[in-house]
Amino acid sequence: MSIYYVHKIAQQVAKDPEFRERLKRDPEKAIAGYRLTDEERRALLAGDVGRLAQMGAHGYLLGHFARNEVLGLHMRNYSQRIHDPGSTV
Amino acid sequence: MGEIVAGFGVPHTPMFPALVKRDGPQCETAQLYRAVAGHLDAIKPDALVVFDSDHLNTFFLNNYPNLSIGVTDQTTGPNDGTPELPPFTVPVSEDLASRLYSFGLQSGFDLSLAQEFDVDHSILVPLHFLTPHMQLPIVPVFINGVVHPLPAARRCFALGQMVRTAVEALPASSKVAVLASGSFSLDVGGHLSPRGQFAGTPDVGWGDTVLGHLQNGRINQLLNEATGERMARAGNVAGELLNWIAMLGVIGDRRPRFLEPQREMGHAYGVWRWD
Repeated sequence: MSIYYVHKIAQQVAKDPEFRERLKRDPEKAIAGYRLTDEERRALLAGDVGRLAQMGAHGYLLGHFARNEVLGLHMRNYSQRIHDPGSTV
Repeated sequence: MGEIVAGFGVPHTPMFPALVKRDGPQCETAQLYRAVAGHLDAIKPDALVVFDSDHLNTFFLNNYPNLSIGVTDQTTGPNDGTPELPPFTVPVSEDLASRLYSFGLQSGFDLSLAQEFDVDHSILVPLHFLTPHMQLPIVPVFINGVVHPLPAARRCFALGQMVRTAVEALPASSKVAVLASGSFSLDVGGHLSPRGQFAGTPDVGWGDTVLGHLQNGRINQLLNEATGERMARAGNVAGELLNWIAMLGVIGDRRPRFLEPQREMGHAYGVWRWD
């Protein structure tokens, strides 16, 4: 389901405080129920927004991960991550 | 008997309320919004049609509308935590909204109907500066400016023309103004944002081009050049230009009374009035 559930997870991070907390506590478990490809799941857990953008994810929605400081992202490392897929800064 | 009395265009940068609170009423942003608000106050419309692009805060991709009208008596927000904006309740002109919706369908625009929704910074930042008491009833018309592929510029222009015809067909006398919300070049969280910045203006040149067309009334040229591909190069929310294009469709072939850019931010403040 081409990137849709990545977008859905990003939206829930912004909209659902309870989901946001679960994602912070145990990311793997929090996203376990979503229909993601293995590649999408790997990139999400790595906070690799650059790779997710390459796969077609919308930057505005990916930005919710940094705004809400989940998946290892925050406003300081986001720009480098979005520009350099695979970056672990 | 209804009458279109003015058109306005402004940005909706979410940080502006906090910036103006910090820098005070003499900062450039406060002055520019105040200049537009002065024209709106002088015109005294009965209702304000707002062309806006939801940033996936009001609607989502489970069923994202390309063109939608909010038909209800009020809406609330911001629903996306805009800094320094309190919760607002905004009156919606349900009668006008309902007429635009029906007239639109009759005219061949397959609009989606939104009857319960809240709105994000892209409507409330402009209203916070232009109608801070939220006394003026609005009609939100949502145009997809952020999820590619976008609706075509000519279609959005025609949507504006339909709004004009619908207003002129109103049974009672009514002064209607129209507001476009959005930027010409802006990327938020995407790879076109400058390195080291979360958001930025990838294409100041495109903003200049748009401004030139607006200033000189070159609508046909603007409609030809504003392709989905061109707007995508100007940033992942640069499709907000479609809101300005719809506004031009409403007001027709006119030159702006006031048009001031913030070039480096990829947006402008515009006023079209002919009284």
